[in-house]
Amino acid sequence: MRALVTGGSAGLGQALCARLLADGFHVTNLDRDLPDQASTAEYVRCDLSSRDAVDKALMTLTSSDGFDLVIFNAGISATGKFEEISTSSHARIIAVNAEAPISLCAGLMKAGKIDNGARVGFVSSLSHFTGYPGAASYAASKDALAVYAKAVRKVWQKQLGIKVTVVFPGPLKTDHAARHAPDGADAEKRMAPNDAAKLILRDIKRGKAHSMPGVAARIFAFLGQIAPKVMTFAMKKLIYSKLDKTVAD
Amino acid sequence: MRRKILITGGSSGIGLALANRLSARHDVMVTGSRDRSKITEVFSPNLIYVQASQSDPKAAVKIIAEALLKAGWVKLDNVVLNAGTGFAVKNAIDDVERVRQTIDINSTATILLSRTLYPWLAKAEGTLTIVGSVAHKGQALFPVYAASKGALHGFVRALRSEWRGRVAVQILHPGPTKTDMHAKAGHDAGRLHSIFINPSSMAAMMEYAMSSKRSPLSLSFLKYYLGGSIMGKSL
Ligand SMILES: NC(=O)c1ccc[n+]([C@@H]2O[C@H](COP(=O)([O-])OP(=O)(O)OC[C@H]3O[C@@H](n4cnc5c(N)ncnc54)[C@H](OP(=O)(O)O)[C@@H]3O)[C@@H](O)[C@H]2O)c1
Repeated sequence: MRALVTGGSAGLGQALCARLLADGFHVTNLDRDLPDQASTAEYVRCDLSSRDAVDKALMTLTSSDGFDLVIFNAGISATGKFEEISTSSHARIIAVNAEAPISLCAGLMKAGKIDNGARVGFVSSLSHFTGYPGAASYAASKDALAVYAKAVRKVWQKQLGIKVTVVFPGPLKTDHAARHAPDGADAEKRMAPNDAAKLILRDIKRGKAHSMPGVAARIFAFLGQIAPKVMTFAMKKLIYSKLDKTVAD
Repeated sequence: MRRKILITGGSSGIGLALANRLSARHDVMVTGSRDRSKITEVFSPNLIYVQASQSDPKAAVKIIAEALLKAGWVKLDNVVLNAGTGFAVKNAIDDVERVRQTIDINSTATILLSRTLYPWLAKAEGTLTIVGSVAHKGQALFPVYAASKGALHGFVRALRSEWRGRVAVQILHPGPTKTDMHAKAGHDAGRLHSIFINPSSMAAMMEYAMSSKRSPLSLSFLKYYLGGSIMGKSL
């Protein structure tokens, strides 16, 4: 069994790789940086903000056997007032979070390297349900993934038996989340990446359309669906009005 | 009040119909990627045309900002980010180059323009209108197109909240409209095409939606048959 995980060198991606390795998968980790911890996963270096790098990675990935499980997890963020974040940062967010995973997925599919019956996961964000004032381009990029997954899901399942899952993680205890949360936000309420990875993999293997690891994530998604405007307002109070810094990865 | 209005993707279809309609009472600048001489539809002589290809989002933003400065426009009452493209695909598998092109033109350029035009809009306490599509929830015939429009939906949701009280931000999701888009997309709607909404009716619905400043609004058959193109407040 062969798995591909993007952004597997840290945070949630690293936890996903570790679990897949323990499950006996041959794992390929596509990341810009070397892994934080030693890992037996195969490492393919790729800066997802560069089209040349993505093309090269696609050449490498399509020159070996196909994958049974692929998780597009890598992502960056920029938080702050929209008009105070540079155009380059906004462009990078769309490139890394939306364009690169969709290009990689489409490229692998075109080359027939996502095997029949495989599982594909896209890590989106709960902001798909709640809105995310203070991270408008991040929200845009994550919505692109959720909608792309929804667009392809039925056809791929019917014709190739490939099941596509969108993952909507809530706040995780990763370096990424800590950098972008307002100061003083309570880290203890966040889920450990390892626990999230377990739930996410279970859902992806089962081929569920959505994966919302944890009760908090499910409550947020539910509230966002029944009262979208109220939720966006709440997010503004919770996050935007407390933003004291502009942070771009 | 005579408004200053910028419309991207105003060299054909919905954008041009809206520009022609508004040009009788307002100052309108339109953009497109083609050369001015390649515009085939009726083009009001009152319109200012700027050639700015959004295939290179950063370059397009620069050209448009320079054109505004050159025209001496210091504020914008309305900005309509309407330029868009899409490609129909088989088995929901897009071509990588087209993934990039679609996201650049539809999503990235739109986001960068919103960012760069902020001072113009803020000065007029204006309205930023972004054109999505009813496909923004996902459609197997155009997965990346749907994703690029889904991105705009989430973008507007966040930005509308951020800019509340300064600049109104809205997204309009047109339904199937009789423009060249479908032929360019490589999608033959066949006999269905004849029931698509006329660009001029769509433009009317858009103008009324712009003056309402509400968001998100779906401008499709239901609204059309309920009289959406003949009833509303003009700008
Ligand atoms: N027609 C429909 O059924 C429908 C339904 C829902 C949403 N929409 C949306 O409505 C908007 C207008 O579409 P339309 O139906 O009027 O189609 P259209 O007639 O093809 O017009 C598209 C406009 O976008 C411009 N554009 C395309 N690529 C560009 C690029 N690379 N750089 C700059 N401008 C570019 C075009 O200019 P050039 O040709 O000069 O490049 C043209 O002015 C699009 O955002 C579309 O997604 C259309």
